[in-house]
Amino acid sequence: MGRFLYDLFYNTDTVLAGWSAAAHASWAAHGRPAVALDVLFQLCAAAAVGLFLVLNALFIIYFERKVAARMQLRRGPNRVGPLGILQTLADTIKLLIKEDIIPDAADRGLFRVAPVIVLAATFMLFVVLPFGKGLTAADINVGLVYFLAIGSLTVIGILAGGWASNNKYSLMGGMRSAAQIVSYEVPAVLTVLSVAMLAGSLKMGDIVTAQPVYGYVLLQPIGFLLFLTASNAEINRAPFDLPESDSELVSGFVTEYSAMRFAFFFLGEYTNLFLAAAFATTLFLGGWRGPLLPPIVWFLLKTYFVVFLLIWVRWTFPRLRVDHLMQFSWKVLLPLSLANLVVTAVLVKAL
Amino acid sequence: MDRDVVSILKAIASLPRGLWITFSYLFRRPITIQYPEEKAELPLRFRGRLVMPIDQQKGTNRCTACMRCVTICPNHSIDIEPEKDPGGEQKPRPARYLYNLGTCMFCNLCVEVCPFFALVMSDEHELATTERSGLVIDLVKERYRLSGKKAGWWQQKFRSAAGEE
Repeated sequence: MGRFLYDLFYNTDTVLAGWSAAAHASWAAHGRPAVALDVLFQLCAAAAVGLFLVLNALFIIYFERKVAARMQLRRGPNRVGPLGILQTLADTIKLLIKEDIIPDAADRGLFRVAPVIVLAATFMLFVVLPFGKGLTAADINVGLVYFLAIGSLTVIGILAGGWASNNKYSLMGGMRSAAQIVSYEVPAVLTVLSVAMLAGSLKMGDIVTAQPVYGYVLLQPIGFLLFLTASNAEINRAPFDLPESDSELVSGFVTEYSAMRFAFFFLGEYTNLFLAAAFATTLFLGGWRGPLLPPIVWFLLKTYFVVFLLIWVRWTFPRLRVDHLMQFSWKVLLPLSLANLVVTAVLVKAL
Repeated sequence: MDRDVVSILKAIASLPRGLWITFSYLFRRPITIQYPEEKAELPLRFRGRLVMPIDQQKGTNRCTACMRCVTICPNHSIDIEPEKDPGGEQKPRPARYLYNLGTCMFCNLCVEVCPFFALVMSDEHELATTERSGLVIDLVKERYRLSGKKAGWWQQKFRSAAGEE
């Protein structure tokens, strides 16, 4: 039993492969097609990821509220459940049972689809996320490209939501989001490229194993900061939260959203925060690798550490002005990340 | 050029400074007071509901029904029915002192004008009632007893006034 638990946590890949092989053998003995079993497995994995996505978002929202409160000398949620841990659950239930309002002038179809696009895009990113050794839904050989491509799909949902709301604040929020994500995608990609050059692979699993024990963060300190900054801007969080800046745009693209559709946007937003942290962990902090503790624990620890960094930044710095936002991306981040890339390329070639 | 470089470097150096401030606040005690469970310590001169405390030495209140508080009250929140004190010197005293909490604006004028220090703004601030009639209080009948720091402060006030005379 102990041996089994050890394997489950430390050699998850072999355990899962064993289960899969056993299931396939008994499935074939009944003469059923193997494809059906594969589909079943994928559905199970999808359900597990979906559950993780919801629980994780609930936890991160609670965590952020607590950290933000303590940074402002408040107590944060402390009424629902011990230390207020059930607060986010109560909020979610409230959002789910509230009336679903669609504005009269809205583009009804697009208004309904927009939150689903955002959530679907974040859900798809989990496919290439290496939770641990062999704990990747599909470790495809272009994982990094997949991550960058799917990661920028979110903006379609945000823009669609802003447009479909037929509200000037929503539209401006959506447009800002589009401009911002397009601008910050460039430095993000350039820093990710320098990691890819160091690792010599675009496969997530290879990038993790190719890293030295201390991770690429020591080889790419500027790259790490650039990536954190750019991805913080891509997930629309303060100090780059212009798409939903409360003080100018009401709530930006979510102004007209309420109840479950708002919950979808919110869920997508916090899952994106987790994903940005998870990819920063995978690319710079050595992913699931670490001594003693099981890989998945290391992965989650490092990821939540990066989540804490992003929360910390959000509750420290004021919001950028919208023209400064563009200038910062194109005039500061882009040249820095280009220089970083060139230096990395030269060093990789020379050493 | 040099000034620009210096200002950019200063700006960059300010980022970790800001981060350090928020990080150090993370470990401070929250200043929130969880109101119904915990209550803040009120300042000595906090102006809660008006009361007419019992003077421990006299065994009754210090009011002489001189009507100065009734006159000065901007909202006509005070109504006194005077009577003659049956004992000894036949000084007037209030039979009833009706204080209307609903119109009172806690301006403290009645307390300041009172020559006998008969009135005090108490610490009571949870004053909601379910009926309007509950807002009119007879301060004579109430026989309020001041306690804590405020009692000492109040006694000090009229004793020092007596000493001056």
